[in-house]
Amino acid sequence: MSVKATGPLPFSPKLVCFTCRFGWGYLNGSKAIESLHNVIPVTCSGKVDASHIMEAFKSGADGVLILGCPDGECHFQNGNYQARKRVLLMRKVIEAFGIEHDRLAIELDMDPEGSKIEPLIEGMRERISRLGPLSPKGVTANQACTGKENLR
Amino acid sequence: MNEKPKAAIYWLAACGGCDETIVDLNEALLSVADAVDIVLWPVAMDFKYSSIRSMKDKEIALSIIHGSVRNSEHEEMARLLREKSQTVLAFGSCACFGGTPGLANFRSRKDIFQWVYRDAPTVVNPKGVYPMTETKVLDHTLKLPELFEKVYPLDRIIDVDYYLPGCPPPPDLVANAVSAVLEGKLPPRGSTLAPHRPLCDTCPRNESKPPKIEIPEVRRVHMVEADEGKCFLAQGLLCLGPATRSGCGETCIRVNTPCRGCFGPVEGVDDGGAKFVSCLAALLSAEDEAEATRVTDGIADLPGTCYRFTAASISLKGKS
Ligand code: SF4
Repeated sequence: MSVKATGPLPFSPKLVCFTCRFGWGYLNGSKAIESLHNVIPVTCSGKVDASHIMEAFKSGADGVLILGCPDGECHFQNGNYQARKRVLLMRKVIEAFGIEHDRLAIELDMDPEGSKIEPLIEGMRERISRLGPLSPKGVTANQACTGKENLR
Repeated sequence: MNEKPKAAIYWLAACGGCDETIVDLNEALLSVADAVDIVLWPVAMDFKYSSIRSMKDKEIALSIIHGSVRNSEHEEMARLLREKSQTVLAFGSCACFGGTPGLANFRSRKDIFQWVYRDAPTVVNPKGVYPMTETKVLDHTLKLPELFEKVYPLDRIIDVDYYLPGCPPPPDLVANAVSAVLEGKLPPRGSTLAPHRPLCDTCPRNESKPPKIEIPEVRRVHMVEADEGKCFLAQGLLCLGPATRSGCGETCIRVNTPCRGCFGPVEGVDDGGAKFVSCLAALLSAEDEAEATRVTDGIADLPGTCYRFTAASISLKGKS
């Protein structure tokens, strides 16, 4: 996965958004979705595995947004609830890896036209831009050992 | 002239348990010692690093390296052994995924130094004495290895040919691995010398799993007396069996302790911690948001539980 930045914010956060096809932007073909960067339609928000969230961050995302169907309206059984529980757990996990939990969010709603997707993404990009970019920490041992920071 | 193949056994950031498991080969170790010429094994025999440095490239047939890479000395020795060895085996969970020392990656090096040398309640250090990489004593300069910002699994530093996970790896897999090397019957390079299936598949408690597990509240081992015949997850105790490679001999399960994940992810999975999170989420019984928040907030140290042995194998950007 390669993640692109969009938009005019001072720091331009890269956001990956997984949208459920059943609740979001299914009218007008999938035009509302196709025009957006890094939006990945899925057949149910419950399909988004914790490892997909990690993969997005590993690939350079500054944030991940999941859009699922409203309470009680999963097309299958309860994929949206599964996604919500995963997000709650993953918010704790990413925090331990130094990624603020607000960089991962889920929205359970219905938006057949897909008109809310872009504003939701923009809103989250704004919130993330206030958090600042994620910085790469010592990737190789060689890099790490040259960092002579003051340890006191 | 000695025709026996040469072997090295070396520890990086390790506890010594991996050496112990090699000693636990018992009599089999004697036949290994007959078949190979051990040129380096610091925990058991006295050798000089200089004798390794003076060897030709690839002169050592097999280097068994355990422990993660935590400081500049580990890096130097890992690179030296790679240069001198035909085959490098990452031995044990620390070499394979970083192991429990990798949990240090949840903190910065600065945090760790401040806690260990200044803030921990048991520390008395009024002069603020910290370990330095160089110290002058009279006319001499004394040197210590430099602690890295992060803990690294071995394959982040050097190429690794084979992996044998476990904390420590069980003697039967060790014996199989050593004889496979000696007999030249190894699988393709990059393989893990352990079964591919998840632990639940081989666990004696798997049969006891109810058709649907629902966990209204996650419990901890010290809070309950676990039923010895029943799947831990069905008792609300976190067991990493569904997301962990088998091969350990279910030793923890047999002493009524849930799997902690030392064998790492199953074949084909990089991030076993995330896989366990997905599995766990499905088992937590919480329909509405408030309930889901309550159940997830009640889990003590979720990241440390899911990534107890694999935190260092996850490369992420983040705030330090
Ligand atoms: S979850 Fe643990 S106790 Fe249950 S079957 Fe799997 S390994 Fe065994």
